[in-house]
Amino acid sequence: MTIEELEQLLAQQPVAVLHRLSRGRVHRHFRAGKLRLIELILQHSSQNLAGLESDLQALIAERQSHPQPPQPPARPAARATVSPPRRTAPRGGEPETTEAAVSLATWLEGIGVPPPQPFVPDPWQEEALAALNETDVVVSVPTGSGKTYVAVEAAKRAMEDNRTVIYTSPLKALSNTKYTEFSRIFGSDKVGILTGDRQENGQAPLLIMTTEILRNLLYDAASGEIDIRLDTLGLVILDESQYIADPERGVVWEETIIFCPSQAKLLLLSASIGNPQDIADWLTSIRPTACRLVRHSKRTVPLRAGYLHPNGKLVPLFKTAAIPSGHAGHLHPEAKRLFFEYEEETLPSGRPRR
Amino acid sequence: MPPSIHPVDLIASLRQKHLTPAIVFLTSRRACDEAMESFNHADIVLPPVRQDAIAAALERVITQYPSVADHPLIPTVQRIGVAAHHAGHLPSWKIAIEELMRQGCLDAVFATTTLAAGVDFPARTVVITQSSIRKSRDFADLTIGEVQQIAGRAGRRGKDQVGFAVVTPSPYIDLGILTKGFTGHPESIDSQFIISYPMVLNLLKAHPHEQIQAILAKSFAQFQLNQRAELLERKLDTLHEQMEPFGPRVCTDWITQWQTFDQVRRQRPQRHQVRRHESPELSARFHFMTPGRVVGLARGRGIVLRQYRSKGQKNPMVSVLRLDGAVTECPASNVGDIFDRLFECDETPAFPWCSATAFDELSSQLTELPTRLPILPIMVPKDSEVLPDAIVQSLGDFPCPSCPSRPACQKDFATALRLRQEQQRHTKSIQALRASLWHRFQERIEVLQKFGYLTPSAHLTDEGEWARLIRIDHSLLITELIRAEAFSGADPALLTGVMASITHDNDRPGSFPRISSGMSSLLGQVRKLAESLSPYEDPPLLRADVAALAERWIADPALTWIGLCRSTTMAEGDIYRLLARTLEFLSQIHTLRATHPGLADTASRAIALIRRGVLEELP
Repeated sequence: MTIEELEQLLAQQPVAVLHRLSRGRVHRHFRAGKLRLIELILQHSSQNLAGLESDLQALIAERQSHPQPPQPPARPAARATVSPPRRTAPRGGEPETTEAAVSLATWLEGIGVPPPQPFVPDPWQEEALAALNETDVVVSVPTGSGKTYVAVEAAKRAMEDNRTVIYTSPLKALSNTKYTEFSRIFGSDKVGILTGDRQENGQAPLLIMTTEILRNLLYDAASGEIDIRLDTLGLVILDESQYIADPERGVVWEETIIFCPSQAKLLLLSASIGNPQDIADWLTSIRPTACRLVRHSKRTVPLRAGYLHPNGKLVPLFKTAAIPSGHAGHLHPEAKRLFFEYEEETLPSGRPRR
Repeated sequence: MPPSIHPVDLIASLRQKHLTPAIVFLTSRRACDEAMESFNHADIVLPPVRQDAIAAALERVITQYPSVADHPLIPTVQRIGVAAHHAGHLPSWKIAIEELMRQGCLDAVFATTTLAAGVDFPARTVVITQSSIRKSRDFADLTIGEVQQIAGRAGRRGKDQVGFAVVTPSPYIDLGILTKGFTGHPESIDSQFIISYPMVLNLLKAHPHEQIQAILAKSFAQFQLNQRAELLERKLDTLHEQMEPFGPRVCTDWITQWQTFDQVRRQRPQRHQVRRHESPELSARFHFMTPGRVVGLARGRGIVLRQYRSKGQKNPMVSVLRLDGAVTECPASNVGDIFDRLFECDETPAFPWCSATAFDELSSQLTELPTRLPILPIMVPKDSEVLPDAIVQSLGDFPCPSCPSRPACQKDFATALRLRQEQQRHTKSIQALRASLWHRFQERIEVLQKFGYLTPSAHLTDEGEWARLIRIDHSLLITELIRAEAFSGADPALLTGVMASITHDNDRPGSFPRISSGMSSLLGQVRKLAESLSPYEDPPLLRADVAALAERWIADPALTWIGLCRSTTMAEGDIYRLLARTLEFLSQIHTLRATHPGLADTASRAIALIRRGVLEELP
């Protein structure tokens, strides 16, 4: 096959095939439009056209054997200029995908403020609080599920028992926010804050600090300079404890947990992580009681993903209204088409348009 | 088509679809500021009622934090109902924006993802414009956990029935990363146990040297290392079973015997030939490119499926499974990184070198690998010794040629040797996994002994007793500076300047205010010391401009915050953070009042001088 024939054949292929062909051949190929992509592929394989050809034939054969695309992609040259993803667009006539895909109206359905209803704690929140009566608890739930409620309730119960509570967060800004929030809930005389450069109400029963400060307190306690507060310490809440994997500061969380007095209960609040069971097992292995893992992956407020095209058109990102967990490929055909269009039109930055 | 949607259009279409309030995450602080500027002449103003509501809410914040009052963004915030929120702003401004957001006054906030974790306010919608974020000095793809953390800000409990995460393309986007992030399962987290000098000193203060190993064993790091060691132990057990048929024969250690015999047999005729050159580094590394190992190549990563030697040149080669599912042959010398990650791989003798199920599994595991993987530390041995001539010449002494079990030995040798090598390797790895933390701790102890903070019996010296109170980054540099009396007679401004340049680890460029001669000579000394300590502790950037900035704030009590900001190109928020962190370092020095009263006094005077203006007003 000559280079011209090859170019023609490439032009007839859907962009998806070209992208697959570009892997290992063209750097940052996802940034390039179709014509540019063909040019780059040919340029790269100018020494090895036979190899390119065989790869291309293999891909075409594979596509034809697949039932997924209803039409074989190799079409007469007349249709080659039609950008292939467009065929999956609703008007392109591919009934089964359009039927499956959700419409914008359905996607936007339910938007708005829910009717006011009395606050009822979620089952996982109840579970975490109940478990905390007996043992340490690791909570791993999605962002915004209401970890703070667990922290507040747990702190309230410990304080009713005349126990000191320490609440730590990784960032000073978060500590300050929580200080304001907790002062509002418990009254400002009940809440104190200790950060690297701020000390207020240091004898209060509920102390908010950065994790580093708690670690330092524990160091001092271990070397004999006992802080009285640690004797009555009943509960340690470590917020955002996924920071244990932070390359620079993670070790501070580990030290804090290792040196945490055994009479105090530990409550680790973390965003969703892959291996919360490991953390729980670890705590079980070093703490006096078996740690309880409370895990919950469903969001309280459901989340939907959308795609907003630079021309202002909004479409759902996935075929279903909810996010299809585990199926990254279930894109909405319209979103897919628009994004391909975008990719084809925006060339790699700094390169002149063809 | 524009490379990305215009901020004004973005807000207009969000409003039209009732998707406000929204948080719009942009790539940089600059992008946030430019987005705010683009609203200067926009006509999508809020109705007067809402403008008044914003004004009233701002009024309440200003009574608490007066520095918010003359912020240049206020008119836009009030007119349009959008705001910018990033690390370049003062905390008071960020608190004000968070408060406005909480009360539902704003329609959109432009923020950077670097602060996604620190932003404590939700919205109905989150707009994502990028798939990578700046991490230290490089851009890295968002992990699944990060995408979910960002998207998780959408949907306020009690105020929204549904939350929306909207992706809008920009030149910095790879849709695949985001869709995977939305739909995927978050990554596992791994321990990052760094053993620092203050940790060693504080542990040894509280516990005798013998107990430390038990304490380190309680760490999550050791827990995870043990998990891996157990995995290897299970493998070792199966290897042990596989080794059973290869027990003692005519000679007890027939494998070694045959190995030597075989080697001798091969070596003898080739004695005078030139030995093929293969660097010891390559041979050592090749050893680890076993099936299932994750390796980094020039472009992307792959999993080794088999290792072999090429037919003619006997070059070390590997077959690698690539990200796109292709199996490529590649010389071992092309393998860049060998990662500390080994997958189960069911080997087969023919292409694709592993069973079909294992192949699929490996392909999916390869795509799901986290972006950061630890690299396997490989020791390069000295050149392997050639057998002494005496043994080579004494081929006749070997019993093997006439031994009855010779055919069996010859047949089984390859398998038996491979199994035994694997056994030895696993045993070594297990030992390393079990003891690595303790070795790292010992290394730190040796350094501290060298500098005189610990006695040879690992007890704290007088120096160690106070040095353990400095529990911040670059602690070794700071304690060494104190011991060298670098600060004796220094005034608070000088001390603050040096501390500021030690704390500051950001390389964002800043302008260069004039630096005093005392400061520049002191910084020169500090730099020299930091360099001499570099084998033991990474030296800080020690930027002169931040030192000058901090020095100025202390030395001139009449200087206002605005005046300070004008003298540099650093953003307000960065200056604030610099001074706040310096304050932290100074308060650590202040804890040395028992042993270094003069220095502690200087530090406490510096602390009092720093706390004024904006720094006093805020937590």
